[in-house]
Amino acid sequence: MDELDRELLAVKDLEDDNDSFDDNSSKASTKSKLPLVNLDMHAEPPRETGFHRSTRVCLEHIRDALLHHRWQEAAEYMACYPQMLEDTTNGPSQSCKELTWRISTEILHHHPKSTLEDYNNIYERMKHSGVRHYLMICLEHSFHLLLHGHIEEAKRQLSVSESWRHGKESAAQFQRTKLIQAYRSLLDYIIWCDKKCTHSSTENSDSAENQDIRNYFRTASVNLKDILKNPGVWDPFILCYVEMLEFYEDHEEALKVLNDYAYDNSFPPNPNAHVYLYQYLKRCDTAEKKLMKVLKVLHVLVPSHELMLEYSSSLLQSEKSGDLQKALGVVLEMLDFACWRGNLVVWKRLEAIIQKLQLEKDWKDVVFTKMADRQGWWPALHFTNFHASKDSEENPELMQVKAPLTKTLCPSLTLKYTDWQAINGK
Amino acid sequence: MDYQFPEQLYPSFYNCGPPDLVLKHCAGNWGCYDGVRPQGGSGPLSSWTFTSRHQVRGETWRHTEPAPVPLLPPKNSVLWPSTPPDPQDFPEHMQNFFMDHCQDAFGSMSEILNEDLIFKQGTKKMSRIDSVYMRKMESLIKKGKLKKRPLSFPSKVLNAYGSMLSDVLPAVPPALLGSLLAAATLRAAASSTPGNQGLDCLNFQRVELQQHGGTPPCLNTISSDLSSFQLKAPVRQISTVSLINNCCVAVRSDHLCGVWRFSEGDKPQLMEVVNTQEVATCISVSPHVLGEVLVASESGAVDLWTVGRGMQRVREEGENLYFNAKSSWRWCEFSAHPRVMVYADRTGVELTDIRVSPVSNHTLFRISNTAECRSGERLILSRYLADIHPFHHLITTQHSAYIMDERFPCVHMLKWDHMMQSPPMFCHAFPGSASSRTAKVLLGSHRSQEITLLQYSGGKAEACSSRGPPQALLRPRDSLRHLPVQLPHRLELATSRLSSPAAGLTCIQKRGGGEAAGEECICVLQLTEAGDIFYQILEPEQSHTPPPALENNTISEINPAQQPPPSLRRISEASSDEDIIGPTQTQSFVAETQEEERPELDTYASSNESWSPRKSRRMKNLQLQVIVNDYDNDETVSGLDTGLNEESAREEKADIPEEPSRVEETTSGSRKLSDGVLVTWKQWLQKLMQKSHKNKPRPQRRQPFKITTKELIDLSSDDEARGEDSAEKERVENVRRDLRACMANRSLLVHSAVSASLGAQEVVEVPDAVKTDRWGDPTSERFTISWQGEGAWQAWWAENLGLNREKKVEALRRKRRREKEVRRASSQRSVLSSSFCSSLSYQSDLSDFSDLSGWSSSASLGAWSDSGGGLSQAEGSVGRGIPRAATPSSSQTDPTPQPGNQTLASQPGNQTLASQPGNQTLTSQPGNQTPRAKPQEDYLSALFAPQDDASQHGGYFLEEESPVLHAPPPVASCSSQSASLRSVRTGFSQSLTPSQSSQGRPGLSQAPLAKKKKPRMGF
Repeated sequence: MDELDRELLAVKDLEDDNDSFDDNSSKASTKSKLPLVNLDMHAEPPRETGFHRSTRVCLEHIRDALLHHRWQEAAEYMACYPQMLEDTTNGPSQSCKELTWRISTEILHHHPKSTLEDYNNIYERMKHSGVRHYLMICLEHSFHLLLHGHIEEAKRQLSVSESWRHGKESAAQFQRTKLIQAYRSLLDYIIWCDKKCTHSSTENSDSAENQDIRNYFRTASVNLKDILKNPGVWDPFILCYVEMLEFYEDHEEALKVLNDYAYDNSFPPNPNAHVYLYQYLKRCDTAEKKLMKVLKVLHVLVPSHELMLEYSSSLLQSEKSGDLQKALGVVLEMLDFACWRGNLVVWKRLEAIIQKLQLEKDWKDVVFTKMADRQGWWPALHFTNFHASKDSEENPELMQVKAPLTKTLCPSLTLKYTDWQAINGK
Repeated sequence: MDYQFPEQLYPSFYNCGPPDLVLKHCAGNWGCYDGVRPQGGSGPLSSWTFTSRHQVRGETWRHTEPAPVPLLPPKNSVLWPSTPPDPQDFPEHMQNFFMDHCQDAFGSMSEILNEDLIFKQGTKKMSRIDSVYMRKMESLIKKGKLKKRPLSFPSKVLNAYGSMLSDVLPAVPPALLGSLLAAATLRAAASSTPGNQGLDCLNFQRVELQQHGGTPPCLNTISSDLSSFQLKAPVRQISTVSLINNCCVAVRSDHLCGVWRFSEGDKPQLMEVVNTQEVATCISVSPHVLGEVLVASESGAVDLWTVGRGMQRVREEGENLYFNAKSSWRWCEFSAHPRVMVYADRTGVELTDIRVSPVSNHTLFRISNTAECRSGERLILSRYLADIHPFHHLITTQHSAYIMDERFPCVHMLKWDHMMQSPPMFCHAFPGSASSRTAKVLLGSHRSQEITLLQYSGGKAEACSSRGPPQALLRPRDSLRHLPVQLPHRLELATSRLSSPAAGLTCIQKRGGGEAAGEECICVLQLTEAGDIFYQILEPEQSHTPPPALENNTISEINPAQQPPPSLRRISEASSDEDIIGPTQTQSFVAETQEEERPELDTYASSNESWSPRKSRRMKNLQLQVIVNDYDNDETVSGLDTGLNEESAREEKADIPEEPSRVEETTSGSRKLSDGVLVTWKQWLQKLMQKSHKNKPRPQRRQPFKITTKELIDLSSDDEARGEDSAEKERVENVRRDLRACMANRSLLVHSAVSASLGAQEVVEVPDAVKTDRWGDPTSERFTISWQGEGAWQAWWAENLGLNREKKVEALRRKRRREKEVRRASSQRSVLSSSFCSSLSYQSDLSDFSDLSGWSSSASLGAWSDSGGGLSQAEGSVGRGIPRAATPSSSQTDPTPQPGNQTLASQPGNQTLASQPGNQTLTSQPGNQTPRAKPQEDYLSALFAPQDDASQHGGYFLEEESPVLHAPPPVASCSSQSASLRSVRTGFSQSLTPSQSSQGRPGLSQAPLAKKKKPRMGF
């Protein structure tokens, strides 16, 4: 605590005279570099009118009530706050408008009798109160409609805001526009699914209707392809894009998109990207070798991933000489993680690998090298007295698998796990 | 399935680069959905649903009490004053220096002077002439206005010291020495359960969460089961892990780290203590392998300490990770893999694989645009959430809290704006009890004691989503407003104690036991630096009638022990009946306590005699209740059977009507503290007061410095006055008696009440008002004028010397011309302007009352006629009221004639309201007033009489201001008198003096009288 205080003060002090880190931060923020949350709200401006004072106090009350989840009280105060928007001295600030929107929406969220109309009211009004938050509120408005099942209405909202233009775009605005387009395309895809579904059920291949469906695909694909070029997490978008591409048998594009998503370095290391690629390749009956390659990358990224089970089984079945050792490594690493420690499937896999490995001459050396840096902590992780009692109670089968393996894995140690079993077995 | 990774994450951009957001508003993430993702198959439109990253509703948890409850009685503690001493106050600092380092300050001098100081009285064997008698010195100090040391010391003890240490004069007075020792021991003694940070005693206290039908759950300590360890340095951090059935507690102080281990049956046992070279900044116990501990130090090194096998350096980092934050704070945690650890500093978090050397690192989190950080944001805390999800980490900054999944580093799974005022330093996270339940994260800040509850779900098959907005929990410093009112000095003490910074946070989660689904609750414990622990219990909103099943259950990270229920019998006895009485008990108790808390608590209060029998009866009742509840408390701990007390309690409560309080309970939104909690608080406060009186290491407030003035003041005059003494005494006695009477009646002691006992006061005469019109000679005129200011004076000279004649003539002409024009322009305007002129003339001709008085009297007459039939009755009352009103107490020497209404009616011409401005306050000497003023005064007195009459019934306090406030209301307000004013006034007077109506005087008769009082109401 003292450390933190010291620290924060130090941060403040240092940053006051040294802007080494955030040179691009606005000069306005340099005045107080101990950026505590409500500094601006609680600090009393040197000169304020009675009106500002009362609205500031009002805001504090609203905030307090909201934080304590006293919704009604907050709503009562909130009835007075919007007069801040009619502030004539220097006009309502941007933050004040956003504040009004956020607080009133939050209150509506918790109002027992809030209707969609109320929401529409507040969204529409606040949307048009300022340029800078127009897109954000539009997006949130469509989210609200989507969550309440008004997909068409949401699509209409998104289309309207998509065509909205205002002056020079900031980076944030650019991204919001992209998001709006992508969400609109997602809804296009959903309509595409819907049409496809009804179309296939009627079974009459009407070319006009086909064309209509294809149009949805086309409008959707433009934006989806576009957003996939930006680094980010686009799981829902890429899934629907790939599905549509697959439907129209554009495998080349699909593979390219998935590969880019998985292997582009500007993207964050999303495990799902590899999973989607793997699943796609599997659907297309790609060669085992390619699949293994994908899994190998995923193994480096997430050694605890559930696909490692498939990876290890492929390695086990592989004919290559080194693969068995790799499989052993993969499974041992899986067992390092808490979430796999009691998993019977993994232990059985390990058993199978060891059994196959024992056919080779130097299997003890292989196991020893793999276990070398685990000797210190694996016993404590898997083979304590407590584990023995727990396994025998909850999962006797697991115990059966584990017990013989202890000798193989840690030959130099006498472990309580087996002792316990010996005692219990008698 | 812990190993699953969400199939679909919420879409988001991945922005690299330094943070650039700037704080704009304080609404955080309220009202935001923050992205949605589709769910449901590729079917028709209706089959699609969406989920948002921020879900509107979380679980609703409600406090069982509106204030946190202290767990342990207050311990001695050195509380730093909340406000730092004034750096300008040099004498204060010198005083502190002299006191704290007196050896340095006075040591050598005292050594030199030692021989010449004589402490004993009567030792006449003086060796030297210039020796100093200490007694003389002391009396000198006493007599003079010298600042005496707050810690006085008797010369005897000092003498003893002097003889003991022959070569030095003890510069440390024993009392001071004692206080220093006390301070040292206090520090050591102040202690608490694990979680204690900042003090150097580690206590393990077994706690037990009790819940039984009807009553809210409460937390109890098992007093017998306390293990205490004295440490050499203040505790900085405690890290606990409950692994298998052992609990491992690692404690960090600046240079020492220790590990304790205990289990259900065993008492805590110290395993090993290591000395670190540099200042350690973090300690973290492994959730994987028992006995593995990570220790990070300021130099940027992290050691893996395997208890019993020494330390192994695993990472060393000279600089900050991502940018130069100039911070030596380092943090380390374990992660999902036992050999991958989390290394953090203020700039970000890295995952370090220590299996390979050199270690391989990759970023888990960094202060950057990716995390949508604001500029200036720094990492405060990183915590591995092993209990919630094996891959989740919680990371907090000043503004936000993040959930990171280590399988997908760099991108946060979830982000909250926690909206705390000071950065969250403590956190406790625990999983939801069932699969549908949300995981909860508690964040606690240091200085402001805030606790915020965040909820989230997902992370396994589904992507993480936050549930509901952040919820602020109760703070100890806010609890005083729920408690009975305290005396100011106690309030101050309690406030400073309660607002001492938080030092730790933990939580006991009680899972709903099988069939009893509504039994679930969370108990949040917060430790303050003063060593106090406060707990608050939260229950889920939908709490149906609790089943009679008794549940004594302890699930605790601190103490994973299951306690056998010690008070089963008692609970089963009490539960049924208490259910019914509960609310009433609360209500009545609270109400009474608010009134009577003070005398009950205040041991100095000597005014017992003034208690009315009714009060003392209630007092008794209250005390009895307290006793009963004391037993209640003891009972839960010791399991004593106090059925008898229960009985008596019920009898006591039986005579309190149940219905109204029940209604109140259900309707009132603000909840009140329950009975038991109130008693706990009360005891806690009482003990706190006792403690604070007993051991103040150095009294903050000095003892009142008394100077005996007997020698200084010549007593001869006193001897002369001794004859009067008895009279004086009597007078004082009288005043005391009056005072007591006033206190009994709860009224104010005012002059008139005292005046009788004090006797007639010497009356100071007010000089006559100077009548300027009597002094007509130019000099006098000039003097008179000169009072009106320089402008007027100059004007007078100009007038007198005829300097402005031409100007005047010109002005007159201009005026006439304008008037003509105006008259020509419109007849209406001319009417207006003439009326304007007339009003002007009215202003200038104040001395001419002819039309004005008529006007005002007609107004007042009109007002009188309002009252209609009530007039005659009012007359009587007026006659009665006059002497009191116009001539309060001391001014009765010249009783005025009582003119009543006749006077009013017959002398309308003498109404001189406007001519008597406020300087005529009609105070004490009506006899000295000019004859002209007299009728007016009578008129006024007639006006004011009823009110004073009323005040006579209502108490003393209205009378007090009567001499001053008799200034007549301005004429203008007279003209605007209206019924509304009157109604306001009558309403007021009636509420003020409810006894009025019992006098049999119709309210109507007062009405006209009332209207003139309006200005007086404003006092």
